[in-house]
Amino acid sequence: MPDTYPAIDFGVSDDNQLIIDSLSGFAAEQLRPNLRAFETARAVAPEVAATFAEMGFERLQLLEDLGGAGLGMLTRVLANLTLARADAGAALALDRLGPALYALQELGGAAAVEQYALPLLDKPSARAVLVIDHADRRAKAGDSIHGVVAWAPTDRADLVVGLGPGGGWVLEGPGLAEPVRGAALHAAGASRIEFGGRIAAAWQGEAGAARALAKARLHAASLMLGVMEDAAAFSRDYAQGRVAFGQPIAHHQGLAFLIVDMFNAVAQGRLLVEDAARRIDRGADATQAAAAAFVECVEASRFVGPNGVQILGGHGFMRDYPVEKAMRDVRALGLLAGGIHRAQDEAASHPDALIAAFEGA
Amino acid sequence: MELSLSPELREQVLAAREWGRAEVRPAGLEADRAAAPLPPEHPYFQRFIASGRARARAEASEGPEGRMVRAVVLGEEGAYWDRGMGVATPGAGLPSGAVSASGTAEQKEHFLGRFRDLKEPRWASFALTEPGGGSDTAAFRTRAQRTDRGWVLNGAKCFIGNAKRADWLLVQATLDPSKGRAGQRSFFVEKGTPGFTGVRVEKKMGLRAYESVSFSLEDCEIPAEHILGGETRKERAEGSGASAYGATMGALNSARVGVAASALGIARAALDEARRFAGESGAVRHPRIRDQIERVVRKLRAARLATLHAGWLVDQRRGNIVESSMAKILSAEVAQEAGMLGMEIVGLEAGAGDELIEKLFRDAKALNIVEGTGQIQRVIMARQLVGLPR
Repeated sequence: MPDTYPAIDFGVSDDNQLIIDSLSGFAAEQLRPNLRAFETARAVAPEVAATFAEMGFERLQLLEDLGGAGLGMLTRVLANLTLARADAGAALALDRLGPALYALQELGGAAAVEQYALPLLDKPSARAVLVIDHADRRAKAGDSIHGVVAWAPTDRADLVVGLGPGGGWVLEGPGLAEPVRGAALHAAGASRIEFGGRIAAAWQGEAGAARALAKARLHAASLMLGVMEDAAAFSRDYAQGRVAFGQPIAHHQGLAFLIVDMFNAVAQGRLLVEDAARRIDRGADATQAAAAAFVECVEASRFVGPNGVQILGGHGFMRDYPVEKAMRDVRALGLLAGGIHRAQDEAASHPDALIAAFEGA
Repeated sequence: MELSLSPELREQVLAAREWGRAEVRPAGLEADRAAAPLPPEHPYFQRFIASGRARARAEASEGPEGRMVRAVVLGEEGAYWDRGMGVATPGAGLPSGAVSASGTAEQKEHFLGRFRDLKEPRWASFALTEPGGGSDTAAFRTRAQRTDRGWVLNGAKCFIGNAKRADWLLVQATLDPSKGRAGQRSFFVEKGTPGFTGVRVEKKMGLRAYESVSFSLEDCEIPAEHILGGETRKERAEGSGASAYGATMGALNSARVGVAASALGIARAALDEARRFAGESGAVRHPRIRDQIERVVRKLRAARLATLHAGWLVDQRRGNIVESSMAKILSAEVAQEAGMLGMEIVGLEAGAGDELIEKLFRDAKALNIVEGTGQIQRVIMARQLVGLPR
């Protein structure tokens, strides 16, 4: 039993609140007004990316020794949520290391981050790609590897990091990013990634791989939450302003209840994601909790995404409004981090741990 | 451990678990099989008093967790063993909060004093729901009229917990129906008062361990000082436009969190049964069963976090109207789902009616009805989220 217990606490620390506030301001001024412009350009404007980097947000989770802020998973979750409420595609584009950082951190440690991640941040526009490998390769440095990722929300693959069930690897050279049309998240780019060549470094370790995947899942899930919060709030506001049959459509009970259920669906995902992030930050095993949180967010997205459009009716289907983009973005985000089926397998693979609510020590 | 509990709270949970396993579940099953609440003279209640649990509850020292968070954690654990027995627990129960918050010094002494150091089982009761009212608590028809000698109550109440065995009831009534909610006040009716009549213990599908009572008030005369908060408060309230209704609904926001915690307990018990059977029969290896269990576990965890959050907000003295209704919706729904799934997994043996899961399946349904149905909770949330008109 540990000596000290973190009390049940749903509060947001002052540090995190400060980050949320400055990211909210940045997102409202720089991202949201350019939602469709960045989508069309398939990129975030360079000056916006430069501002983001200058504010230090590219290095939120890097250790302080490596010039980062050394902040934890809850901070990342809140930051992703805040950015994705404005534009999840831009959030992906701006965070150039993305979840590849977790594989480096958890498997290769600070040395791997220093060797592979830091040089990337010094190269303008360079991007890292995390390849979720379902096979357990037991790869070694010097081995050859080849593969294709049908879609990744990026326009470049300067660094390719693989994460399998038993470990991870880093490709020696860059991957080849060939533009594809893409279903969503266009501000981040959309490419088919072909990678091949020698493995520069490889690490074994199921526990580290599980921790990295848990973080990658929360990374994707928190972006989904931001999109869903925006879609739910936007459609809710619309429903209060749009009048039909003599009253705001939100006051017809069929829609009022739908709006409540959408709110609850997002809230459940958020509670589970934040809880899993808190577990990670206090050093607890969060493999199952993060997998379940990801599954919950994907399930919520199937409900919230289409219904955000539904509430706006025909208008929702038009690109004049952001809800159609939210529906596509949130669906696409749910395909990342290994997808829902593997997450569900892992969420369901610890049935005893699941139910031991207050049991054990 | 799933939650990080302080050592103090953890000790209380373990004590509740020990008591629950040894005493509460067998007592709840006995009442369920008899299809009637245990009589007030049942030895269980004597053992409860003798165990010191009543005193421990009253004196439970503050831990690092706030009052409501502790209530949620302990409420879930209690309901895990038997939610009905939880309601049947001797003590001032539901009305004690309103009396503590709004009662005069004399009322607190007279009505709560006798519960302070229980030597024998005693109950009190809170009478809100009416036969025609259901969840529409603003539409009471029970009338209170001032006479030279005091108050006269006329009306009917239904589904009132512990009302037959209660020493006294706190009855919600209206002084003037034309004033709607502003006309409502609470009145103490002591056991045996003439005009407190037609007392009927309902026969229920589940939660059979406590009395749900219907009764009438026919020219029921009570002393002038039996109005909660005293008569002067009435004048102040009417003058300022405030109402007892607000106080009642404030208490209900906390009560919702309590009911949500109870639903969590039933859900966890049903899941434990489902999991036990799925494990023993090997069904858990079937992906379809496994995924269904995973989903309910996930929904239970989300509902628990939602309920703890709603309780935490109370402890932080922050508003929780949306959060408490959400917690109530999610917890009640997962309890129902867990009961349904458990029936499915246990299969025909559940159909035979002797398995615990069959009782939990019946018990769970009530949680989506009491303290405002799932639909009423959505109305409450919609008022906050989209300004749904009253």
